[in-house]
Formats: sequence, C-alpha cells, structure tokens
Amino acid sequence: SGSGLERPQLVTYVQQALSYTLFDCKWLPRSARLLCLGSSARGTGLLQLYELQGGRLALLREIEKAKPIKCGTFGATSLQQRYLATGDFGGNLNIWNLEAPEIPVYSVKGHKEIINSIDGVGGLGIGEGAPEIVTGSRDGTVKVWDPRQKDTPVANMEPVQGENKRDCWTVAFGNAYNQDERVVCAGYDNGDIKLFDLKNMSLRWETNIKNGVCSVEFDRKDVYMNKLVATSLEGKFHVFNMRTQHPTKGFASVSEKVQKSTIWQVRHLPQNRDIFMTSGGAGSLHLWKYEYPAQRLKKDSEEAEMGLVGSVSLLQNVTLSTQPISSLDWSPDKKGLCVCGAFDQTVRVLIVTKLNKV
Amino acid sequence: SLPLRGVRVTSANIFCTDQYLKVERPPFLFEAVLFAPIDDANSTAKIGNGIIFFTLYKKEVAMWDSLTLAIADKEKLQYLRENAVLKAHERAKEETEAKKVTEKEHKKYALEATMRLEEAERRRIEDLKEKEQQKVTKELELWQKQQKDAEKQKRVQKERELHQKVEQLKETKKDKNNKTRIPNEGTSKARIKPTKGHGSCSMFSEEEQLPAPRSAATIKISFTPRVFPTALRESRIAEEEEWLCKQAEARRTSNADLSELEDLKEEEKNPDWLKDKGNKMFATGNYLAAVNAYNLAVRLNNKLPLLYLNRAACHLKLRNLHKAIEDSSKALELLTPPVPANENARVKAYVRRGTAFCQLELYVEGLQDYEAALKIDPKNKTIEKDAEKIRHLIQGTMQDS
Repeated sequence: SGSGLERPQLVTYVQQALSYTLFDCKWLPRSARLLCLGSSARGTGLLQLYELQGGRLALLREIEKAKPIKCGTFGATSLQQRYLATGDFGGNLNIWNLEAPEIPVYSVKGHKEIINSIDGVGGLGIGEGAPEIVTGSRDGTVKVWDPRQKDTPVANMEPVQGENKRDCWTVAFGNAYNQDERVVCAGYDNGDIKLFDLKNMSLRWETNIKNGVCSVEFDRKDVYMNKLVATSLEGKFHVFNMRTQHPTKGFASVSEKVQKSTIWQVRHLPQNRDIFMTSGGAGSLHLWKYEYPAQRLKKDSEEAEMGLVGSVSLLQNVTLSTQPISSLDWSPDKKGLCVCGAFDQTVRVLIVTKLNKV
Repeated sequence: SLPLRGVRVTSANIFCTDQYLKVERPPFLFEAVLFAPIDDANSTAKIGNGIIFFTLYKKEVAMWDSLTLAIADKEKLQYLRENAVLKAHERAKEETEAKKVTEKEHKKYALEATMRLEEAERRRIEDLKEKEQQKVTKELELWQKQQKDAEKQKRVQKERELHQKVEQLKETKKDKNNKTRIPNEGTSKARIKPTKGHGSCSMFSEEEQLPAPRSAATIKISFTPRVFPTALRESRIAEEEEWLCKQAEARRTSNADLSELEDLKEEEKNPDWLKDKGNKMFATGNYLAAVNAYNLAVRLNNKLPLLYLNRAACHLKLRNLHKAIEDSSKALELLTPPVPANENARVKAYVRRGTAFCQLELYVEGLQDYEAALKIDPKNKTIEKDAEKIRHLIQGTMQDS
C-alpha cells in the first residue's frame, strides 16, 4: 500500500474534442499515431489518423466511408503493412491500407447486421499461425476470416435452425501459442459466454454470467490460455482462470463489482498481463492488478482437477467524463501510454505512471 | 485574621468585592463593610490552622481610620450587600465574556494554522503531480522522436530495397539465357520475423511459412433461453419473471360461461384470434365491430392487457371517452410489473387515456398521463409536442379565469 502517491497515477496527457461519435480508437503499432473510428452526424463512417506532437494531437488524415464504423483492429496484419481491419454498421468487414484507403484490400459483407466487435491474431510479429480476424454481430453469429480467402469465412459459429438469435457484443482470440491452436471467446447480450476451439471446430465451454457481456479479453492472445476477463452490465466483471477446465464446473472465476454502471471495455497492459484497465458507463477508468493464488489448482472429491482463482485489487481510478468511455487501447510500444474514447465526443490520451513499481 | 471556631471553610464560602467582605459558613457569619475600596482581585485569603488570614491591598494608599465602617442603618447595609452582589455578578460576567473572546481568538488562530498546513500539503501534492506530468511529457516527447527516427530509417531502407529489387530484375533479365541466378544472400533485407527460407520477394517468403487458411467449418450453437429481446440485467430478473408468470397465467384463464358460448365456432373461442379480428376491423374503420370482437375476447379471458388497450383505441374513435378511460386504466393495471417488454403497451395506454381526458376537457389529468408516457419514452417527439400543447391550454384557461 503506502501513501496514495506511490500508486500508479492516471495522468491525462492530451485530449481532443471531435465533431462526430467516436466508437473505437486504436494505436498504430510502432508509432506515436492513433486512429479514431466512428460515425459522422450525416451517418457516414469516419477514420481519422492523429499523431502525438508536442502535447497535442495533430490530425494527419481524415477518411470518409459509406457506413459508420464500429470497431477496428491491427491484430492480423504484418508490421510492415499495418493494414486496419474494420467492422461497420452494415455488417461489412473491410481491410484498409491507410496509405491508399480509397479501395479496401479486402472486403466482404460478412453479416446481416452491425458488426459489434472485431479482433485479429497472427499479425504484428506476435504469435504463430495464420493471420485471422474474428467478427461478432447483432445477427447472432461469430465468424472467423482469413484475409487470403475471399468471401467465405473459415469458421462460422451460428445458432441452430429455429433458435432465437442473441446479440453478440464482443469477441476475442486466445490460446494461439502454436500454428494449430486457437480459440475464440464470444460474449452475448443474454449473458452467455462461449469458448470455441478452432482446431477441433467445437464448442469447448459455455457459461452465463447473468448480465449482458460487454467485453471479453484474454490476458495474452499468443500464449497457452491463462486468464480471461469478461465485463458486463450493472458494473460487474469476472476473471476466469483458464489454465484448468473442470469437466462439469468449467473454469474458476472471481468477480468484482465497480459502481452500478456498465463496464464497457477491459484491456490488459501489453507489457504486464496481470494488470488491466476497465472503462465504465459513468466515465471512469479503473486500473486493476491480479494476484495469483498460492496454488492454481486442486483436486476435488472425484480426483478431477479444479482451478483456483486469485484476487483482484484496485490500483487506481479516475473519472474523466460524464459519458461512458466506450473504447480503450494501450500502446504496444510505450508502457503506460493509452488512448480512450468517450461518448462525449472526446478522445483522451493518458499516461499511467509508476507501472514498474507495481 | 479571622479565627474559625472549629469549622472548615473553603473558598466558596468567602465572598469579597471592592468594599465588602463576607465569610458565610452556617451557622457562622462574618461580614465587614470596608473603610475604603480595596483591590479585590489581588487580595488573598489564606485558610489554615484554624484561622483565615486575609491580605487586603488598598486601592489608594492611605491610612484608614478603622478596618470597617460601622453602618447602623440596616437599609444602607442591605443596599451595600446587594450592591456588592451585583458588582460580583458583573465581574463574573465580564470575566466569562473575556474568556469567550480569548477562546474564539484561539480557535480562529488554530483554524488558520490548520488551513495553512492543509494548503501547504495540497500544494506539495500538486507540485509532485506537476513534476510527474512534466517528467512524463518529456519521456513521451523523447519516445515520439524515437518513433519518427525509426520511421525515417524504415523509409530509407524501403527505398534501398526497392532500388535493389530493380537492380536484381535488371540482372535476371541479363541472365535469361544462363541458369537462373540465386539472389545474393548478403543483400537480404532486415526482417522483424526471422525467415527460414529464402526467396526473391519478402511477400512470398512470408506466405510460404504461414499455414494455409483453415478449411471452412461451422459450429452450431444454442443460447441460454431468454424471452425478452433486451439484454439481460441481473437487477431486473425478478420483475421480468413476475411479468412472464402473469402472462402465462393470463393465457390459461378462461372465465366464460361455457353454456352461453356453445354456439360459437371453435376459432371464436380463442381470445387471440378474436383480438386479431378486432385489430383488422379497427384498421378498416369498423370500430363497432372491433369493439364487439374485443368484448367477446374479454369475456373469455379478462386478464389480457392488450384487449383492453385496443378496445380503448376503438372507444376513442367512437368518442366513448369514459369507456376509453376505463379500458386504458384496466390495461395499465394489468401491465404491471413495468418491464422493457411492455413499454410500448404502457406508452400507448397512457397516451390513449390522456387523449380521452383532454377531449373531456380534463386537461390536468390528461397532461399527467402524457407526462407519464414521456417518462417511459422520452425520445418521442409527437408525445412531447402534444404535452406542450396541453400545457399551453392549461395556462390559457388559467389566465382567463
């Protein structure tokens, strides 16, 4: 513990008011540039590329597209190309070369309704295996795409015939520790979390956390799956120990409640997988640290292995806005540097200090 | 000095003002009216050894004819006594007031001191934060510079690579007749991912190493069942359950007298079918027939809120305003508990009842219902406009009366 000033501080470095609704913000890897994705008042999509220049954000490029853009990722692109994959309100998945953004490098109308969430794996020099992009949509399906294969997804997780569809709100890749293994975790508005194994093409685990699932993320995509954080409506998030799967009880978890408002996003610090930040509907950011338990598993009465889960402690929190902070991204290149976007049409760049002392 | 006849005396028994001295310890009393005023604040009385030793300081240095004044006049004595008591009281008052003033000043001083300390502390923390901010800003600027330099380097390198490629192409063209030349390993480009194989173009070699796209497959899933289209919220689960139970019960209710309905066709005994019929007739403007359909449906099942809701709409069109109010109210009664699933129905019920009230010129009640509707659906512009109109009407009539 120690005095309050010894803990990490969340310092606002620069903020910029925008003239459109901001849905996602992402750092351009290997640079001091960031992208803002959103919807203009006219109902068109906007991509803005900013650069940090001496205490302010300088707009380098503005690109307008037909449909509002909901989400984007650099996860499946190489470091040389740095192509951006986006999901838009019309259900289209596009991959853009930001140096020549007039025509997408890849384009498919992947879903019948808005793509709520997107993730990429296999790029940026992280992990192994094919580059893949996963999209989750309001049409209730989760689809995995390979940029080398046009038009059809390489995996499709869809409801059985006649089933009432639920909104898929969030998707995340994980377990990509070699060329073959990969999982996709998806969260839905009815509280379902499902874990799909792409190597075996099967449903590996599912559970229901009693509140719509806003965001899921593995602490690292490219290692043998370790921890998964799922955030939800009504201020709750759950941390699952993904190392041990019990045959009936699944994965062990611990949950925390933070205020009453929706927890929109969770993002793990790229440089330390036990530190993560959650962003809230009341315009706040909370920085957490996970402590591992003394033992990570034990045997139950039938000799089956059961995971044990540790605890989460709050390192720091700050309230930046009265509107929800709906997007959050850590810089992969500078420890502690992060960008967040809120529904008050403001993008803020923050620096989290003293992370080395945690 | 005053001898004490074996009694114990404390300071409470001694009373002294500037010209009057009294020691009272029942049954003994000693009283003296002094010849001239003394400084009673500095005078002392020492009690001990069976006597009280008074040390009295004269106000004016002079010889006294005697210690005390003999006053024969009882009244005067009484007056003197009272005066003395008054004086003592006044003095006591002054003392307490003076004490209060000093206390206040002390408190003020203490408060100011603490404020100063807190201010200093706050400033210290702000300074630390400022320093932190500056440090962090400097670090960032340094890092930004590094990024820029790295980018520049990369660009230079790209150009070099391009140049090399062009050179290679020229060379391979030259060597068309000869065996194909293996490009010079020494000019291989720096890569972030180390490549195992070699090739003439970086793009292809990377692709060679990547596994092929996986063969397409589908996983079929099913969801934890949820009746409502809205997202699941833990705090609303109880309410939603209640609503669902009510709806389920309502469907099962059948409270009509079977004998009366024997001559009805099978479909006419189904409240849902009758409701649909009613809706169709409403749509074509046949309000009376619609009311009949709803009436029959209600006789079969009086727990379905939508029947009352739709019948209220018919009554509005037929200007049966009281019946419209009755039916809207019954619908609202059945639409509890309020959940997102029955929001639309509740809004309609409030609006219909509000309209009926207004047509009966009961504008205040009408406005109440419109505002209730607006509370559920704040974004509805039509309801907002109508509510405004009603407000103006009310203000207009108030001005007239």
